[in-house]
Amino acid sequence: MTLQTAPEGLAAAEQSTSTVDAWVTIVWNDPVNLMSYVSYVFRSYFGHPPEKAEILMRQVHEQGRAVVSTGNRERMEVDVQAMHSFGLWATLQRSGD
Amino acid sequence: MRAFRRERGMLVAELNADERAAVAAVVADVAQLLGAGRLEDRGATGRPGDDDMPGGLPTAEHLAGLSLRIDDIQAPDDAAVRRLLPDASRHEPAVSAEFRRLTEDDLRQVKTARLTALWDALTTRPADGWPAGALVVRPDAGADLAATITDLRLVLADRLGLDDDEASEALYADLERGLPDDDGGDDGDDGAQPDQPADVRRYLGSIYAALSWLQESLIDVLLDELDRPR
Repeated sequence: MTLQTAPEGLAAAEQSTSTVDAWVTIVWNDPVNLMSYVSYVFRSYFGHPPEKAEILMRQVHEQGRAVVSTGNRERMEVDVQAMHSFGLWATLQRSGD
Repeated sequence: MRAFRRERGMLVAELNADERAAVAAVVADVAQLLGAGRLEDRGATGRPGDDDMPGGLPTAEHLAGLSLRIDDIQAPDDAAVRRLLPDASRHEPAVSAEFRRLTEDDLRQVKTARLTALWDALTTRPADGWPAGALVVRPDAGADLAATITDLRLVLADRLGLDDDEASEALYADLERGLPDDDGGDDGDDGAQPDQPADVRRYLGSIYAALSWLQESLIDVLLDELDRPR
């Protein structure tokens, strides 16, 4: 009979590779976009429920910025491009920068 | 101008001839800023690229869709265009340059195609059964229209110097009480653009305010659409 050990090493390695390339998409406040439109974009593009879209929109409006998505750089480039298509001012950066 | 509402399965607003002409002029200006040429010069056949392709030479538009970007694209000089196609990084020029190389052509094309659709809707008669002033949009085109109105407002806001919420509020306050007439020399005390004549500010400002109001009504309808059971 052999002892089956839990694959801790593998799980740890997977976790660390998934955080190596962590980027975020940030949406910045601007004086033009309507609050309702920003909420609409967060709902329609990210699929957020109304409450979450509203919280993120308020964060943009009141704190000047909000992190709206997280992932690898390529994924964030897709999200930033979508935000620019909607006319929102968005940037990407490494998570924690 | 009448706000958007849902009517017979479509999103419908009404603009009279003057309002259509004023908005269409801004649409054409923004398309030109994005490098599309003048929309009114396209002729009556509709979108460029739909016809005369067989046997003819491909136009710049045909080729743009096939372009393979190898070189970096410089950030646009015009602040309004830079707002339509902003830098993707605040502090890392290399990230912004890479993003521009990958996405700018696509973004220009998407925005230009949406502007062209609005231009066509503003300059052609609505289908039979709708009033002459009706602006009729399919529900699945509503998001594109809302995004295009945003692009129009972003460019107008740049021209009006609306850099912050205070400048935006000042414009509305001015419009509400009626801007002073342009007396030819004293233009400097009514806003963020000191050398902008009062009548230009009033004209652009009134279009900006009308588009903001129209967009708000469109978003109300689009939010209702999101809540509709599918």
